[in-house]
Amino acid sequence: MSNSFHRVKTIAKKEVIEFVRDWRTIVAIIIIPILMFPVLFIVFPILLESEAAELDSRIIEIEVQGEQFPEQLIEQFNYSTTEITFQNITFNESLSIPGDDFDRVRNMELDAVLRLNKSGEIWYYSIIYLSTSEGSTEARSRIIESLINWEANLTEVKIVEGGLDVDSTLDPLRYDGDISKSDVATEGEQAGLILSLFIPLVLAIWTFSSAIQPSIDMTAGERERGTLEALLGLPCTRNELLMGKWLGVASITGVGVMLQIVGLLFAIGYLATSDFIGIPDLSAPAIILIIVSIMLFAIMVVALELALAMRSHSVKEAGSILGPAIILIIFPALFTQVINLDGIESFWFSIPVINVLLALRELLLDRVIIEHVLIWSLTSVFYAALAALYAARQFKREDIVTTLS
Amino acid sequence: MPLESLLTVSNVFKNFGDVIALDGVSLEINSGEIVGLVGSNGAGKTTLLRLMSGVYRPSKGSVTLADGNQVHNMRNTLGVVPESTGLYSRLTAWENIRYHSRLYGVSDDISWKRTLKFAESLEMEDNLSRYTRGFSRGMRQKTALLRALAHGPRVLLLDEPTAGLDITSARTVRSLVKQVRNEGGTVIYSTHQLYEAQQVCDRIIIIHNGVIKADGSPDELMSTTDCSSLEEAYVHLTQEKARMRFEDKKSDGSLGKLWNKLFKPKLPQGINLQGVDEDE
Repeated sequence: MSNSFHRVKTIAKKEVIEFVRDWRTIVAIIIIPILMFPVLFIVFPILLESEAAELDSRIIEIEVQGEQFPEQLIEQFNYSTTEITFQNITFNESLSIPGDDFDRVRNMELDAVLRLNKSGEIWYYSIIYLSTSEGSTEARSRIIESLINWEANLTEVKIVEGGLDVDSTLDPLRYDGDISKSDVATEGEQAGLILSLFIPLVLAIWTFSSAIQPSIDMTAGERERGTLEALLGLPCTRNELLMGKWLGVASITGVGVMLQIVGLLFAIGYLATSDFIGIPDLSAPAIILIIVSIMLFAIMVVALELALAMRSHSVKEAGSILGPAIILIIFPALFTQVINLDGIESFWFSIPVINVLLALRELLLDRVIIEHVLIWSLTSVFYAALAALYAARQFKREDIVTTLS
Repeated sequence: MPLESLLTVSNVFKNFGDVIALDGVSLEINSGEIVGLVGSNGAGKTTLLRLMSGVYRPSKGSVTLADGNQVHNMRNTLGVVPESTGLYSRLTAWENIRYHSRLYGVSDDISWKRTLKFAESLEMEDNLSRYTRGFSRGMRQKTALLRALAHGPRVLLLDEPTAGLDITSARTVRSLVKQVRNEGGTVIYSTHQLYEAQQVCDRIIIIHNGVIKADGSPDELMSTTDCSSLEEAYVHLTQEKARMRFEDKKSDGSLGKLWNKLFKPKLPQGINLQGVDEDE
């Protein structure tokens, strides 16, 4: 093992040890992201479900106003959870004007008011409700559901009276068989498509955001704490120092992002039916290229973050630069999601950040297009090299030993 | 016996932008001596030490070892204790020492033996397995010293090693420095405490505004300046007004100028501080 490699390994190992001994950073980068998606996708829906059930069982008070109260409509309401009162009123103006009901609904004397008026063959209606009240919104939903059922009954009656067949009149165009069986994409390809919709986005944002804290800690943090000067007096080159720190940040970020994806897939797998998201059909070249693209992206992102953090005189300064810099990743990442991959122009694969994200999308669909692979791999190597050179330049600055303190 | 030259600083200039930190410094460090670098804040002591440790490169001139090698290529012969000590708080004292020793290419066994030897003198044996997070300033300084000695350096560079230490700790550090010298080591000791320099150093170099004003033993300095104490000799040699330091030149660009114009703190109207040029 060469001395240089030994020094790089020693630096990286120390960075990782120091990092994992800080429980706050472990919570921020590992624990919270792992738990975030399971909590969001599993606990949150359970909470929503229980709240919805509570609302369903709630007794709702509705007043039906008008001159006539059609029985077929009234039958649609579930009387076990709905209390209905009737008031005979003749309307002279638009049914939507709340009038006296404005205060009654706002003061929650009633949850909602259904107004009905028949003119000729047509029924007109309106619902007076309070959109900021959950009870009133629930009352409105129940009224609308009953109205839809009643309208369907009225339509059927009209069709029968007209001497027509209800079934063929209302549903003259039908799909024959199972829609999912007509898709010639394999299940693996479909799984790849689903994954390609969020994996590149998630990877890009998480890689960048997870690397922020360790990058700052290992550069501006060392500078601020005065540990960097002692390190620079050692017989290791600045490039070895950069490599060691890069390896440290990349290891921490890599583990963090991997655990976050595991958390996300676990949450999706728990929620969805087993065939909602399967294992994508990926060829060996596609898998290798996915790994290469992620590595090139990580080299570029981590080197860039280390460079920007090393330029800063303090942790605060580094944070105020790297925090907003995440926009440089979020916008291209979001933009990439809407680019159509069919017939895509090759130049897209040469734009920084976008190139790797598009490559990931294509590769998750198992599309290995040589021209695209050449463009994104060469440009990614170029951008990664540029970022590494920039980082090396920052690490060679003499003023990195000076601190604001 | 004539002393063997170990490290040579030849006509070194060091600029930071427009500021000249060192202005043609030349000196020679001999084997087995304790050399004190004495000067006020901003005199150039730390810059000179950083040049000797290879952290900085000279703008002009050279810093070479006896074999002719540039010092930054031979950093494994040096042991450095910067003013800030530079300890990692989430590592134990021994882990801090071992980390540096490994980067010097020294095995854990050797550095452990050397650490134990000096830890005894510094009464630090019981603290080696403790995290440095809760260490006092004295303990931090002692750990940094152990770290600088663990790989067996030929030259020890100490930047104000007793600054902020209590009397007992400072005394222990000074006695260790003498022990290193007695065992054949060379120590370059930066301080602005004349009493301490007189007590510890075989030779004192007085540096002022980036220029060496005097170089000799404490007695020589007093006799050449015709002063009865080292303090008087120092004052005599450094009568020139100390320069101001401008390390941060970041805001020199047009954007920086605009920023300063908009947001630079202003003195209340009617107040004028003598000697302060606000636009400087």
